[in-house]
Amino acid sequence: MLLEIKDLFKWVNSGGNRIFLLNDIELTINEGDFISIMGPSGSGKTTLLNIIGMLDDFNEGEYNFLNEPVHTLKEKYRANLYKEYIGFVFQSYHLIDELTVYENIETPLLYKNYKSSERKSLVADMLDRFNIVGKKDLFPSQLSGGQQQIVGIARALISNPKLILADEPTGNLNSKQGEEIMNLFKELNDEGVTIIQVTHSEKNATYGSKIINLLDGRVV
Amino acid sequence: MLRNYFKIAWRNILVNKGSSAINIGGLAVGMAVVMLIGLWIYNELSFNKYHQNYDKIVQVMQHQTYNDVVGTQVANPAVMAETIRNEYGSDFKYVLQASWNYDHALSYKDKVFFKPGSYFEPEVTEMLTLNMLQGSRDGLKEMNSIMLSQSVAEVFFGKENAIGEIMKLDDKVDVKVTGVYEDLPDATTLQSLEFIVPWDLYLSYNSWIKDMEDPWGSNFTQTFAQLGDNSILETVSSKIKDVKLSKVTEEGRRYKPEVFLHPMSKWHLQSNFENGINTGGRIDNVWLFGIIGVFVLLLACINFMNLSTARSEKRAKEVGIRKAVGSRRIQLIMQFFNESILISCLAFILSILLVIIILPFFNTIADSKITILWANPIFWVLGIGFSVLTGIIAGVYPALYLSSFKPVKVLKGAIRIGRYAAIPRKILVTSQFAISITLIIGTIVVYQQIQYAQNRPLGYEKNGLISINTTEETHKHIEAIRTTLKGNGAIVEMTETTSPMTAVYNTNGGFDWEGKDPNLPVDFPNNAVTEEYGKTIGWKIKKGRDFSRDFGADSLAYILNESAATFMNLKDPVGKILRRGDRSFTIIGIVEDMLIQSPYKPVRPSLFHLLRRQENTFILKLNPAMSVNESMSKVEAVFKNYNTSIPFVANFVDEEFDKKFGNEKKIGQLAAFFTFLAIFISCLGLFGLASYVAEQRTKEIGIRKVLGATVIKLWNMLSKDFLILVIIACAIAIPIAYYIMDGWLQKFDYRTSISWWISIFACIGALLITIVTVSFQSIKAARSNPIKSLKTE
Repeated sequence: MLLEIKDLFKWVNSGGNRIFLLNDIELTINEGDFISIMGPSGSGKTTLLNIIGMLDDFNEGEYNFLNEPVHTLKEKYRANLYKEYIGFVFQSYHLIDELTVYENIETPLLYKNYKSSERKSLVADMLDRFNIVGKKDLFPSQLSGGQQQIVGIARALISNPKLILADEPTGNLNSKQGEEIMNLFKELNDEGVTIIQVTHSEKNATYGSKIINLLDGRVV
Repeated sequence: MLRNYFKIAWRNILVNKGSSAINIGGLAVGMAVVMLIGLWIYNELSFNKYHQNYDKIVQVMQHQTYNDVVGTQVANPAVMAETIRNEYGSDFKYVLQASWNYDHALSYKDKVFFKPGSYFEPEVTEMLTLNMLQGSRDGLKEMNSIMLSQSVAEVFFGKENAIGEIMKLDDKVDVKVTGVYEDLPDATTLQSLEFIVPWDLYLSYNSWIKDMEDPWGSNFTQTFAQLGDNSILETVSSKIKDVKLSKVTEEGRRYKPEVFLHPMSKWHLQSNFENGINTGGRIDNVWLFGIIGVFVLLLACINFMNLSTARSEKRAKEVGIRKAVGSRRIQLIMQFFNESILISCLAFILSILLVIIILPFFNTIADSKITILWANPIFWVLGIGFSVLTGIIAGVYPALYLSSFKPVKVLKGAIRIGRYAAIPRKILVTSQFAISITLIIGTIVVYQQIQYAQNRPLGYEKNGLISINTTEETHKHIEAIRTTLKGNGAIVEMTETTSPMTAVYNTNGGFDWEGKDPNLPVDFPNNAVTEEYGKTIGWKIKKGRDFSRDFGADSLAYILNESAATFMNLKDPVGKILRRGDRSFTIIGIVEDMLIQSPYKPVRPSLFHLLRRQENTFILKLNPAMSVNESMSKVEAVFKNYNTSIPFVANFVDEEFDKKFGNEKKIGQLAAFFTFLAIFISCLGLFGLASYVAEQRTKEIGIRKVLGATVIKLWNMLSKDFLILVIIACAIAIPIAYYIMDGWLQKFDYRTSISWWISIFACIGALLITIVTVSFQSIKAARSNPIKSLKTE
């Protein structure tokens, strides 16, 4: 078991009312799963993903990641935990505009204090694997959306995470690029990486092994 | 890691060329100003430190009371040094008598030059620790010797050895060169001591000094001293207080002479005395410009922070990504600090370049000779330390604030920097403009005061007047010279007198008149003149008549200026008797006050009488019908007939008069210079802020445009906020400026009032500058295509 969520609630107070963003979520995810979270806008998909990724807090409930109780951990340990085991892929790629493809992929390693020679070889592997060696000195603005997302995935994978969280990874791409990315995820999943994606697309959901449907913050 | 930070910082600079240029450029200008002012202040404060005995050297000065005020003077009786040596010798290492420092004709073979120098007692070389290049420091022990500064020696002897050569001093005595010393640097009070001759030589051909009936009755020399190694200035100064009082006559005691020691450390910066109290002097300028420097730097730092924080908000997304891929907060903090320090160090480098470029110009307007202290470690430590500090202060906000963002929120775009974030920035811009407007008003008032004093009625006609020093020969032949020059049309008239038109060379006390309080000590400028004086300078007789050759008795006649008549409280002054000792004189006329000394002070009560012996100066009125060059060459030719061995030197009175405004003009020019820079820096800040606000409101502008707002309406909306800020700044600045400048004007007895139009002018100027600066951004924002701005949301 990779992670487990029990009786999780998240709410905001608006005026006198408590509005639930997530309402009594129960979730268990095993290593090697490829989960798709689906649901209409505002159903809490991204919130759930961010909580799993430890970027966001929740108000009540339990969250265990690799048997560590995340809800009781201090910020610093939590950061170390996700730094170590989780990679993020965003809908709008979120590459750093001022850095080249090579430097963008290298960034997570800098924060993990890898040696220069190690970084070089890891980044080279990654460039090679995704066939973007020729683009390593280009800046994000010089790439197409699909290529940017590939760089985003390469960056997510560089630190060899157990879990990839992807928030509508194909949302800004055309269908051909989208297909490419989904195939990539499929391959990664076959290699043993756990993937959780948020998606609107039924088609993309079929790449996954399991679908979680959300509506108004509840699993349905 | 560090390299990654540098890379990103550098690329950020390159990507935002415009705002980087404003940011770095603005800070560099501010730093350059501070560097200039700092160098200038350093130069002022290190004045005279060239002398190793700096801490122990003093000038013996005295306070005296006359006309009901305490006056302070450096002039002493010639016996002062000797007396102090005899009576208080154990408190001093040296006490030395010296003459005034003024131009003497020095000649060697066929070379003749006027060079400034002094007669001094021999130990002056030890006291001033002169750096001997040839000969030794005891070269003044022989009476007929002379020591030359390096530059004077080079004029006469080039690079050759000067020792043992015989020169002629003032066409009178032969002196032997016994030493050459390194020129005293510009930053010394005695910098124009270009040669030294022994005091004994002065006494030997002014034998009347030794024969004076009352050696304490006349003050015409200076006294310098070096305290003993263990002496304390204040103690010794109060000990010698009465050294003169105990020697003077009954009449002299009425002036209450009080001798004191003025230390070398105060010669340059604290040389003003008012009513017997040391009231500062140039130190006021040091403070003034020190404060201006701090303010200009403040302006630049405010900008730097404003612009870097405004820009850093664009980088919220980067913060989010970095956090998402594993950056810890401390690493982000380091990154932002690193970046702002890099920028401030770039600004430091640029500011050094700026200083190198501006320095010659600055030296011209500040009339200084400062240099960059390349070799001084303090300069570098301060400069670099200061840049790092600025970087840290400017980096605090982005470093601490931005690094606290939750990545989910920034990445979602949920963080909108609220309207309130702009408030500190608005306060900063308002204070910037308040400072700038204060400086504008201050500068205008300085210029207005100069203008006002320059337009002060002179009481004489200064155009075409020249002055030439007298010599024995020319004095003897004044009638011949006058007839020749009037005959060939070079001049209208000429006269011989004690003082030139722009200074007072002689004052006298001991006068008595009808109704005078017998215990009131008095002292008046007392000018000996020829009958043609009035006609030459064009004075205006108010009552009575001018001196005239038609009246034989005029040798016992006096003309008073109006202030003297008022001071003496004489109802009907013409015909009244003026007594001095046992002699009586008749007042024959009253002349309109003439502006001779400070253009800012009241005219002193002054007296004029006909001359009896050789005086100091000829004054000539050139013929306006002839060109100046032509008449001057004729004048020179005639004077050369009589002064064959002395170079001809003439001073134009109007030029000498203009020198009286030198100090205030300098302040005016410097103030204008700094005001310009302050406005420039403020504009940069405003420009940056305007672009930031326009960017912040891109979406709003887009929506408004889609809904039908015109460019004019949008421009109006975007500019209005800034105009309000500047109006608030005006409201703050005007009273402050009035308060400060009113205080400054109090220094002058003859002063202008601050006109209302000055603040109106300054405010309208500030508003115009604001409109131009802001419009550039707001029109750009208002004209942008709304589709684009809305799509990026």
